[in-house]
Amino acid sequence: MEFIQKKTMDRAVEYFLPKASEMEISLTWDRFEGQLPECGFCETGLSCRDCLQGPCISHPFRDSNKAGICGKERETLATQSLLRLVLKGTMVYLDRLSEFAKEMESRQWRPKNKPRTDQMLKTIQSFFYDGGMVKKELPKNWIRPWEEAKIFPEGMVRDLFRASQKLEGGFAENEETLLWIFKSSLLALISERLYGELKRSAMGITTPTWIEVNLGVLDTQKPNLLLYGYLSPLLKQKVAQEAQKESIQVLCVGTYPLIPSFSFPTVTNYGSQEIPLMTGAVDLIVASDQGVNPSIMEIAKAYEVPIFSVDDLKRSKDLGHLAKEIIGEVKKSHEFRKRFPRDIPPIKESAVIGFSKDKILWKKILKALDQGQIRGVAFLFGSGNVKFSQDHEITTFAKEFLRNDILCLSKGESSIALAKYGFLNPKSREEFCGKGVLEFLKGVGEEVPSVIDVDEVEFIDFILEKPKEEKKAFPMVACFPEANRSSEVVEAIAMVALGINTYFWPALPITGSQKAMEALTTFCQKKLGSSFYIPMEKKMEARSKATMVLKALTGQEGYGISGKPWR
Amino acid sequence: MVDKNKCTGCHQCELWCGTEIASVSKELYQAIHETPQPVPRVFVEGKNFALQCRHCEEAPCLEACPNGTMRRDPETGLVYVYEPTCIACWMCVMACPFGIITPSSTLKVAIKCDRCRNMGYPICAEVCPTQAIRLEERKDYRTKAF
Repeated sequence: MEFIQKKTMDRAVEYFLPKASEMEISLTWDRFEGQLPECGFCETGLSCRDCLQGPCISHPFRDSNKAGICGKERETLATQSLLRLVLKGTMVYLDRLSEFAKEMESRQWRPKNKPRTDQMLKTIQSFFYDGGMVKKELPKNWIRPWEEAKIFPEGMVRDLFRASQKLEGGFAENEETLLWIFKSSLLALISERLYGELKRSAMGITTPTWIEVNLGVLDTQKPNLLLYGYLSPLLKQKVAQEAQKESIQVLCVGTYPLIPSFSFPTVTNYGSQEIPLMTGAVDLIVASDQGVNPSIMEIAKAYEVPIFSVDDLKRSKDLGHLAKEIIGEVKKSHEFRKRFPRDIPPIKESAVIGFSKDKILWKKILKALDQGQIRGVAFLFGSGNVKFSQDHEITTFAKEFLRNDILCLSKGESSIALAKYGFLNPKSREEFCGKGVLEFLKGVGEEVPSVIDVDEVEFIDFILEKPKEEKKAFPMVACFPEANRSSEVVEAIAMVALGINTYFWPALPITGSQKAMEALTTFCQKKLGSSFYIPMEKKMEARSKATMVLKALTGQEGYGISGKPWR
Repeated sequence: MVDKNKCTGCHQCELWCGTEIASVSKELYQAIHETPQPVPRVFVEGKNFALQCRHCEEAPCLEACPNGTMRRDPETGLVYVYEPTCIACWMCVMACPFGIITPSSTLKVAIKCDRCRNMGYPICAEVCPTQAIRLEERKDYRTKAF
C-alpha cells in the first residue's frame, strides 16, 4: 500500500492540482488513491481469470488454496501472468506495423524510396506468416544466439497463436513459458525494426530538431489541435499539412513529435495527459486507442472540448479526407470555444530530439569508454507511473548518471519527461553533466543535449549495431524507473534479449513465485548473458535505486550485473 | 463488524494481515517468500465471511490458558497473546468457540487476532474493498441481539 504525497515534479501540472480539487475534477492521482490497496494477488501474479470457473488465486499465507481450480500452481500462475502481459504488449507493436503497412499498401502516399518500400512491404507480409524474409533484415550475429536459445520468432501468426495457447492449459514447464515470453518480445522488437525501416524508406529520415515542451506551448489565441496517443505518421503528416494552411497549431501528447519536415510542440507526458484540458486552450483532441486514458473524456465534457477518435470503425480510411475533416472540426470548435478563458501557465522548456544512429556512432562511444571519458551507457525508458511522483524517478536517475559520467540515451515518452526539466536542452548540459560526459557531448556536436533522444525508428537499429563481441565488457544498462504499460514490459524483455542488463520498476506480476523468478534469472544469464533485475523493495528511494544501478554499472559493487541473485 | 452480504471472499484481508502483521519484512513482495510462512490472524470462512477474534466479554481462551499468556488489555478490552510466556499447550485453541486461534507448530506459540491494538486501526478493515469489515462502536448490540 502506497500513498504518494508529492504528486508530480512538474510545476505546470502542480499549478492545476488545487484547481482540479476545487472543481471536483477527479484526476489520475485521485483515482489511484481510490484503488488502494491494490489487489495483492494480481500485483504479484498469483491470480488467474483465464476461464469462467474462477477467478482463482494461490494463497501465499495459507496451506490450502495453493493451486487454481484447474491445478495451476503458484509458479505457473506467476509465469503466465507475465506471459499475458507480454502478449498484450506485443500486440501494440504488431498493430502499429500492420496498420502502417496497410496504409502504405493502399497507395495513399508516394514513397521516397519506392523499391525499398516495396521490398519492406513484402518482408512484412512474410513476417506475418512464416517469417522467412525477416532474417535478411537482421544482423546475423544477433540471429544465432536467439536461435540457439530457441527464441527466434517463426512468423507472427504461428508464434502468437502458439504463445496464447500456453494460457489455455497443458503441462508447460516454467522454462517453456519463458521461451514463449522471450519469443513474443522478439516479435515486438522485430516489428519495431520493420516499422522503422518502412517509415524511413517511405517518408525519409528526421534530423535533430528543436521543439518546445510543457503546457506553456499552448497558444493563447490560435486554435490548438492536440494529437493524443499513437497515431499513424502518415495521418500526422496530412494533418500537419492541412493545419499549416489554416494557421492552426498542432501539438502532441504521448505521440512522437517528429515526422519528416514537421515537428510538434509537446504539451505534457503520459501521467498528466488530463491536465492540458484544464487550461481551456484545447480546441480539439484527436485520439487513438494506444496510450490514451479514457478519463480525458469526462474532463473534455466539462470543458466542452470535442474528441475525434481516429480508431472509430465508422471513420473514412482516406487519410487526406480524414485530415480535412479534423481541421474542419478544429475551426468549428475554436469558434464555439472563444468564450472560454484560457489559463496557460508560462512554463515551457526547449529540447533537441530525434538523433539518428549515424549521429551517435558506436565507434565514438567505445573510444570514449576506452579513454575513460565516460564510464558507461544508460538507456532510460518508461512513460511514467502514478505509483511514483511524476517524473521524479527518471529525473533522479538522469541526474545521478550524468553527474557520474554515464552517457544517457532515451526515447519516446521518457525523453519528453526529461525534456520538461531541461535534460534535452543543450544549453543546460553544463548544469547536469560530469566533466567526462560533457567533453564527450561537445565532441559529438554543439547542439547535443545532456540526455540524447534517439529517434523512435532509429533506436532498434542503433542497438542492433552494437558490437557483439564487446557485450560482456561493455558497461551498459537499460533502466525503466517508472514503467507503466505492457509495451514497456515487452521493451524491457527485448533489451534483455539484446544482452543488456535491465532494471525494471515497479515489480512485475511474476514476483509471487520464487521459483518463477529464479527460472527467469537463470534463463537470462545462461541463454542470453544478461540480467533482468526486478527489485522487490517497494519503499526504496529514487536516489538509492540510481546509486544501486550506478554501482553495478561501474563494476564496484551491487547486484544483478555482478551475478548475485535477486534476493 | 463483518457484513456477510458485502463480503466477496476476495481474501485481501488475509493477504494484508499476513503482510503487515504476521511477516517480518512488512512488504508484500518479500513476505510472500518468507520462511516460516506468515500466518494471518483473519480467516475467510466458506465463500463469504471474514472471521477474526471476537474479543468475547467472557473469553473461554482466557479461562483455559494455564499460565496467563492470554491476556486482556485493561484499557481497550482486547484479548491478546503474550508470546514470550506461551508454552504451546493449545488449550486456548481447543477452548475457542470460533476456531480463530492458530497453533503455530514452527514458532511454538498460539497466534490470534489482537485487532491490531498497536496500530490504531485494524488492517483488515482498512483494506477491505467492499467495507464488509468495519470497526464501529455498537452500544445497542446486546439489546438488538437479545
